[in-house]
Amino acid sequence: MIEQLGIKEIVLESAKEVFETMIFMDITETAEPDSDIEGWAILGLITFRGAMEGCLAICCSTPCAQTISMNMLGIDSAEQVSEADTCDAIGEVANMIVGRVKKHLAETVGNIEISIPSVVNGREIKNNLGNDAELVTAKVNIEDKYVAKLSMLYRKSSK
Amino acid sequence: MGKSLMIVDDSATMRKIIMRTVRMSGLEFDRTEEAGNGVEALEKLKGGVVDIILCDINMPEMCGTDLVKRVRQIPDCNGTKIIMVSTESSQELIDSVIADGANGFICKPFTPEKFQEKLSPFMN
Repeated sequence: MIEQLGIKEIVLESAKEVFETMIFMDITETAEPDSDIEGWAILGLITFRGAMEGCLAICCSTPCAQTISMNMLGIDSAEQVSEADTCDAIGEVANMIVGRVKKHLAETVGNIEISIPSVVNGREIKNNLGNDAELVTAKVNIEDKYVAKLSMLYRKSSK
Repeated sequence: MGKSLMIVDDSATMRKIIMRTVRMSGLEFDRTEEAGNGVEALEKLKGGVVDIILCDINMPEMCGTDLVKRVRQIPDCNGTKIIMVSTESSQELIDSVIADGANGFICKPFTPEKFQEKLSPFMN
């Protein structure tokens, strides 16, 4: 039943709304193969539980994350954005996307409770929720300059 | 006399974004404060009350819903307006926090126009 809800469409629509409203950037889904973001990357992650449990993440290269944080803060120079600012911004992007996803899911699956954001900075970052979890991924072009990966791991609540 | 504003959010970046968006909305405050959670906010309120609090919900140490209840127990803060700013947007939650004493709710993502709409009634 959960598969019929169009989770990928919900995640993409939610991300588009966040990018257009708060980051002032357009995103479009790209047909690039589903691979990890190459090089140093930053991943913003939110876990959730309730009617469904799992996590939603956005992963992008460090330069992409810097540009996102610069746009969110209205800053022109990358030198004015600290690593902490960049990590914080990516966590907030994940937070806002999952907030919109939660609103959609409340009408179909039920309520989910969401965590505060976690941010990981590193290489070849992967999520895992066990074999019984569904994984939805979508790669998006950001202003035709960067690629970011949206992913949502989820399963029906075991409770 | 000018108005004062406190922004309560555990994300320093989000506090900056909210401040920027408030400025973009055209609203002006003589004094602005920031706090990273409810505990910090209560501590800062001891040093002086503010006219408007913009408050996140999901925060460590003390969440926004608990902060609303605590602020409403402070006699000096009777006139303080509290607007929640959160990714949480269920009607049940909004009704609950309004019943606890919040004066409004802004969902993230937000626009300057939304701040203008929600804060203007409390600026006079």
